[in-house]
Amino acid sequence: MNPAKSYAHLFSPLGGEGGENYRAPGQLTFLRAPHVPLETEALKAHGARYAFVGVPFDEGNVGKPGSEDGPREFRIASQEYLSYWFEFGVDLDGMAVDCGDVPMPKVNPDSARERIYRAVTTVLQAGMTPIVLGGDRSISIQIARALSDYIGADKKMGCLHFGAHLDLADSWAGEKFLSTCAMARITELPNLASENVAMIGARNSMNPKDYIDLAKERNLRFYPMFEVFDRGIDAVMQEATEKVWGGTDAQYLSFNFNVMDASAAPGVTATEPGGLESREMIRVADIIGLRKSVSVIDVTELAPVYDISGTTSRLAVCAVLRIMAAMARARGELVDPNLRRSDLAPAQA
Amino acid sequence: MSNTAPGAWQNVPHQLRGPHQHTGADDHIYSPRLHNGTFKSKGIATFLNAPYCPPDRNAIREMGAKVCFIGVPWDQGQIVRTGTSQGAGGIREASTQYFPYMFEYDVDLLTYYNMVDCGDVPIVPGNNEKSHEYIYDYLTECLHGGAKVVLCGGDHSVPIPGARALSDFHKNGSIGYLHVDCHLDAAPDWAGNAFTNCSGPSRALDLPNCNAKNMVHMGSRNGLNPKDWFDFFVDNDVRLIPMQEVVSRGVVECTEEIFTRAWDGTDGIYFSWDTDSIDSSCMPGTTAPECFGFKGREVIQLARTAGKFGADIMEVSELCPQFDVSHISIKTAVLMICHFLGSRAKTLRDQGLKP
Repeated sequence: MNPAKSYAHLFSPLGGEGGENYRAPGQLTFLRAPHVPLETEALKAHGARYAFVGVPFDEGNVGKPGSEDGPREFRIASQEYLSYWFEFGVDLDGMAVDCGDVPMPKVNPDSARERIYRAVTTVLQAGMTPIVLGGDRSISIQIARALSDYIGADKKMGCLHFGAHLDLADSWAGEKFLSTCAMARITELPNLASENVAMIGARNSMNPKDYIDLAKERNLRFYPMFEVFDRGIDAVMQEATEKVWGGTDAQYLSFNFNVMDASAAPGVTATEPGGLESREMIRVADIIGLRKSVSVIDVTELAPVYDISGTTSRLAVCAVLRIMAAMARARGELVDPNLRRSDLAPAQA
Repeated sequence: MSNTAPGAWQNVPHQLRGPHQHTGADDHIYSPRLHNGTFKSKGIATFLNAPYCPPDRNAIREMGAKVCFIGVPWDQGQIVRTGTSQGAGGIREASTQYFPYMFEYDVDLLTYYNMVDCGDVPIVPGNNEKSHEYIYDYLTECLHGGAKVVLCGGDHSVPIPGARALSDFHKNGSIGYLHVDCHLDAAPDWAGNAFTNCSGPSRALDLPNCNAKNMVHMGSRNGLNPKDWFDFFVDNDVRLIPMQEVVSRGVVECTEEIFTRAWDGTDGIYFSWDTDSIDSSCMPGTTAPECFGFKGREVIQLARTAGKFGADIMEVSELCPQFDVSHISIKTAVLMICHFLGSRAKTLRDQGLKP
């Protein structure tokens, strides 16, 4: 026990004046993390591992709108969790900062895309892992591009994509940067080889034929839900993570949350039956966590307007926090198991 | 868009709208190529944007349609909460969020089946008998036009005229009848009325050419199943697969069993699929949502397995969009149909057969 450090947040509230109500944050941030401006030097000075960035952008979607409210709901849902995760024996407190939302100009998608690119680049240059919360899936194009440019041409990156749709349209009504084009653009990045791409969860018929044709043409491995049904999520995840982490210097983890079954995630822009169940998403997070680190995480297409009970945002938060917790455990960053509430110094009570 | 041109399915949306038309064949299975409103812009609201065809046997034959979609905006034949008259509209609406191309089967449903939408049956409010006659008439026209039918309810009294139409169509042979539902629906009558949504299997067994050995019920559970409904299956020796059995044996094996039984020596089958067979978490938008039903992936596995066997009439009923706040039920209902048709197409193609 380090006497200079506070441990009170690991335990049930002790009472007294400050901070015992975990659901009454002063400032609404991701997991009550401190707010740090989106500047490389400020981020470096803080020294956290993750930086949360919201991207309230909804101008790249082709279907139902609503994802620009995603970051806000994600932050709210994160208040429902504590930083201590008993299954992993780890403490996420201090691991993240919240940089707020990237200011989005309306009706100017070109400018918005550049701002997203710059925001992700800023976090990467501070040596941190951006956790980017969309926004529609088109933002992934800029996020992946930022990672690719950041690591440089002589390094290799991997990409693990979750989603009901392959998003492999070369263009959509002439446009090249819509959500439907996301994986088409990402798989064009020079330092992303096709053998380091895995796409999990494709199903149903919002996957037009050109998606499939392009996947074949670029030799992209996708694991449709029928394959997950047959093989089980563990086997698929072992194979997919080996592709993405095997021999790469940086890894991009992208969750279009419509990968989840419509019953597990009604609050997404394109609900799709036949997807992952919540317990499978928990396995996904655990297996990713074994890899110890990741370069960028994004979660897109949350649509809180359809999330009447708030279950979708909460599941998304849970998935991200479990990845963080599982990685911390894999790195051996465990809370002292002998620490007890009664050990707390009176000053912390 | 012409109703009669043989190439009507080559030029269906999402492209053929307004001044910026693209007339390339098969455009509708690809991402849009032109900036013309695209995907979200709807023309006439039909199932999967299929061409409209009048419910007339000659018109259907002339268009070469092998699958007809029919809506039944009827919810006055049932005893639970109302709202299912909007079911067909909900399915059409949700279907515009999908392409007719299904990569799982590598098939374009529209051109493979020359699929058409024959619109809604003009039901008569307050008159179950007359509405049922019109349903019968619409189905009869489609069957004689050489097409299979996707019948979208409407309440679950729909299979009563539906199975009768199929029975008469195969009057020199016999038919099978499948009832996938949370409820057994085997009342001799309900407060004196023999033609409500409580009597589908009972009325099917009344048909002269529908034998008990070709009938199966699957998916029943929970406490809206009075004893006379259960007694029907025992007394008539009709196979009953309750949900508990589906859970222990698996949905694929059970679906194979029910279709094998229904097709045993018959000339055609009626496949009645009530949306309340599905778990209430995946299907909140139904008239009587029930827990412990089929989960999302089981629905798709059921539809896929059913497609290996096929049916003359596939009916989806009791869909109730007004309770479907997050729009998950109407999309699931579309996929019940699309996976059934997609799997059917793949099966036929693999066997070298035509629809």
